[in-house]
Amino acid sequence: MELLTQIAGSVLSLGSVAAMLGASLLGVLIGALPGLNPVMAIALLLPLTYSMEPLIALGMVAGIYNGSMYGGAIPAILMRIPGTPAAIATTFDGFPMTQRGEAARALKIACWSSAIGGTASALALMTIGPLLARATLHFGPAEYFWIAMFGMASIGVLVGDDALKGLMAAVLGLLLGTVGLDNLSGIPRFTFGEPWLLSGLDLIVILVGLYALPPVIALAEQADLKGLSAAALKLGRARLGWAEIRGMVPTWMRSSFIGIGVGILPGAGGNIAAFLSYSAAKSASKDPDSFGKGNPQGVAAAECGNNADNAASMIPALALGIPGNVVAALVLGALLIHGLQPGPQLFHQNPALVGGFMAQMLITSLLILLVGGAAATRVFAQVQRLPGVLLVPMILVLMAVGVYVINGRVVDLWVMFAAGLAGYLLEKLSFPLAPVVLGLILGPMAEQSVRRALLISRGDATELLTRPISAVIAVATLGLILWPLLRAFQRRRRAAARD
Amino acid sequence: MTARGQDIVLGVLFAGLGLAAAWQAMGYRGASGTYPLVLGLGLATLGLLLALRSLWSGARVPRPLVDHPRHVAVTVVVGAGYLALVPVLGFYAASALVALVLPAALGFRRPVFALLAAAGFMVVVWLVFTGLLAKPLPTGFWSRW
Amino acid sequence: MKTLMLGAAALLLGTTAAQADYPERPIEITVPAPAGGGTDTSARMLSTLLEAELGTSIAILNAAGGGGSVGVTQFMQARNDGYSLLATWNSPITTVPQMQPTAYAPDSFVPVASTSQTAYTLCVAPDFPAETGEEFLAELAANPGRYTYGNDGIGGTMQLAAERIFQARGIETVAVPFGGAGETLQNFLGGHVDIYGGSISPVLPYAEAGEAKCLLVTSAEAVPALPQAAGLGDLGLGDEETLLWRMVLAPAGTDQAIVDRLIAALETTVTSPEYVEFLAGVGEVPNVVTGAALGERLQGEFDALAEVAQSLGLAQ
Repeated sequence: MELLTQIAGSVLSLGSVAAMLGASLLGVLIGALPGLNPVMAIALLLPLTYSMEPLIALGMVAGIYNGSMYGGAIPAILMRIPGTPAAIATTFDGFPMTQRGEAARALKIACWSSAIGGTASALALMTIGPLLARATLHFGPAEYFWIAMFGMASIGVLVGDDALKGLMAAVLGLLLGTVGLDNLSGIPRFTFGEPWLLSGLDLIVILVGLYALPPVIALAEQADLKGLSAAALKLGRARLGWAEIRGMVPTWMRSSFIGIGVGILPGAGGNIAAFLSYSAAKSASKDPDSFGKGNPQGVAAAECGNNADNAASMIPALALGIPGNVVAALVLGALLIHGLQPGPQLFHQNPALVGGFMAQMLITSLLILLVGGAAATRVFAQVQRLPGVLLVPMILVLMAVGVYVINGRVVDLWVMFAAGLAGYLLEKLSFPLAPVVLGLILGPMAEQSVRRALLISRGDATELLTRPISAVIAVATLGLILWPLLRAFQRRRRAAARD
Repeated sequence: MTARGQDIVLGVLFAGLGLAAAWQAMGYRGASGTYPLVLGLGLATLGLLLALRSLWSGARVPRPLVDHPRHVAVTVVVGAGYLALVPVLGFYAASALVALVLPAALGFRRPVFALLAAAGFMVVVWLVFTGLLAKPLPTGFWSRW
Repeated sequence: MKTLMLGAAALLLGTTAAQADYPERPIEITVPAPAGGGTDTSARMLSTLLEAELGTSIAILNAAGGGGSVGVTQFMQARNDGYSLLATWNSPITTVPQMQPTAYAPDSFVPVASTSQTAYTLCVAPDFPAETGEEFLAELAANPGRYTYGNDGIGGTMQLAAERIFQARGIETVAVPFGGAGETLQNFLGGHVDIYGGSISPVLPYAEAGEAKCLLVTSAEAVPALPQAAGLGDLGLGDEETLLWRMVLAPAGTDQAIVDRLIAALETTVTSPEYVEFLAGVGEVPNVVTGAALGERLQGEFDALAEVAQSLGLAQ
């Protein structure tokens, strides 16, 4: 009890509240600007807080992290440009909704879904975090291999109409994922003697090009000289009915579960969580064909999933001292600088601080409802009033600056540009881009895990299947591949019976 | 070009890319070569399949790659020029230039509006990156003075 | 805008005056490792203290990959005006070039100062049949090929440090490379690999809690934070010592007056109570070698490791 009042006192202190509020707003902005991402913003801003109270620094991390995951949805919905990699799945249905004139509704759904996913994740962090953290230790290389395979199997749901092109896209992504120094043998692959390629193709650089340049070129093609009038946008007047909210509860629960599950595993990330949530929602839907054409459930699934990843990804960091992603690593670094020792003793030695940070993750999830909706309608919708031809160079500049600051390399600008032009042409040839991205993300994880697993088992491949968790995920992967086929078969039989 | 012709070209291109990757991968030792080799051959096979399928049953309907060739060409050329100028002129100068030139090249004829929008935008970018994040950006020839 | 004004100011004052006023604008420190890692965290802590000492702001640029060689190669293009610095650990400079072709050598930079040093450690689960460093090596030697050890990745100093010891005792183990110490720790705690090989800081709380037995450190001396671990000197392997140490370097051709100013600032900050306390928390000790002496240390380590890599069959 004494601890609770202490936590409440420090979390609700002026500095902490100001940090959370300001950082949430900033997070939404950073998420919404293509190229800028939360990792970079947190890395750049954390040093400014080293001299302040730890909870001010952590409140800032929580705000930027949660705010940006929602912020990424704003341009994804309004312009089909994902603000963060985790918002790619949001474009699938969010932008078609905008084209139908339902931008406000899509934004509201994204806002609520983000808040709900974040809240569920923060609650998981506060209640069963240490338990979940111990569970992640059972995931060795063999299990990671199957998780990657499970993610790949969900490509089946994302390929679109042409399975052959979908498969080609996936293989292309896998091949791009092999570029760089092979961590297991030290051999550089496909680097052509270029030192900057040793670290592989930077995911964010590729994604910014692939997903932001095609819409920018499309905007230039329209050559809109006047700008949208405010009436054409119809923002800020959307209401979600109770029936609609009730219809989303299963999607929210499923996506929260997936997001938390992916989040606690070190190395997996929010983008995988969003993809998996989306494909799960589509598989579970009675009308899977409506996905990709503006189904609100698609937006809800993707946004809930990527926010549910956030607090959960802090679980192994806070409970074990093992950072699962760069944001978690930065949090641990900040704790070290404040003289705290990350590890299993962290909570026992500093319950007020760790508990405070957990509370901040919860509060900033809820703050999305407060600042998110307002930011989306008041600021970003106004941007759309500008003539399209003025937006073209502005987005280009933001893409360039965002890509440049990641590694401080000019060559990354050209990688981004080349990826964008390729993405533009491939899209016109009805070649799906999502499998390329999934291959690029999951390929290295699959290859490295399976090779590590084989090193550990001394080359015995049966051990990939005989470990209990591996076996379960392997069976689930098989089910995921067979499920759409089964449903298609059922539908055909039913149709045949009707004739 | 028709969709059929495009898909044949795309298939052949990917087959070539796959074969090139596979050939390159043959030079890598052991397990680090096998995986890209298999992927390269897989991509080549899929590319050939696509080309053959299009040859057999491709739709002979036109599928334009660009809706408005002049605007696309202008955007791509100015965009590439901008990226080339960033290290020379510095980030802020190059960005201000592209924010003015590109709308004009796309047919925007309200110079005062364009100037104000570009100025406002550059101030926001400056505040975020140099003011708030204190992030050094390419300075180009300014710092060599 | 700001750059423009500064550029004009520099033009008016001339270059020599600019050096006397150094630093008069923000400094960028390249860290060739990912944000949040050991090198990154110590560079960030150091830079906050340096900011106060030098009276300018410092930005950290993380350019990770290739065992650090990506960031160091990129730093080769940095301007030698004193506003670009490199904060690195020794592996990218002295170890990686033995196994990968790199565009740089230890003498490609102006040595400024080393900051801190520590050792790598080898740890096992509490039920491992060994209680001392000597027993540990005996157990490994008696069971060739039976145990797996996780390391930071192929071609880094950690792998070299372990292989040196194993070769000296004729030990055969299965090396399983991971993406970093955090990943190694996760797989070690989960029982997926038998031996943790990596830096001290991540595993320290587990050693203190009795969940890991750290039996060996790769320095000649034992490390106070890990009382159960033997130093290599105790085992008669003092010659096989491999350290993990951190340093600040400047681009070739940096003005000597600026380097001297930086050396003075680093000497003050590294030995300040705050930094020493921070280092103790992560199992490191301050270690300041400056200027030409640092250059000799780099070249000496590079030459010694070249021989080791050659004899281990790891050289490129």
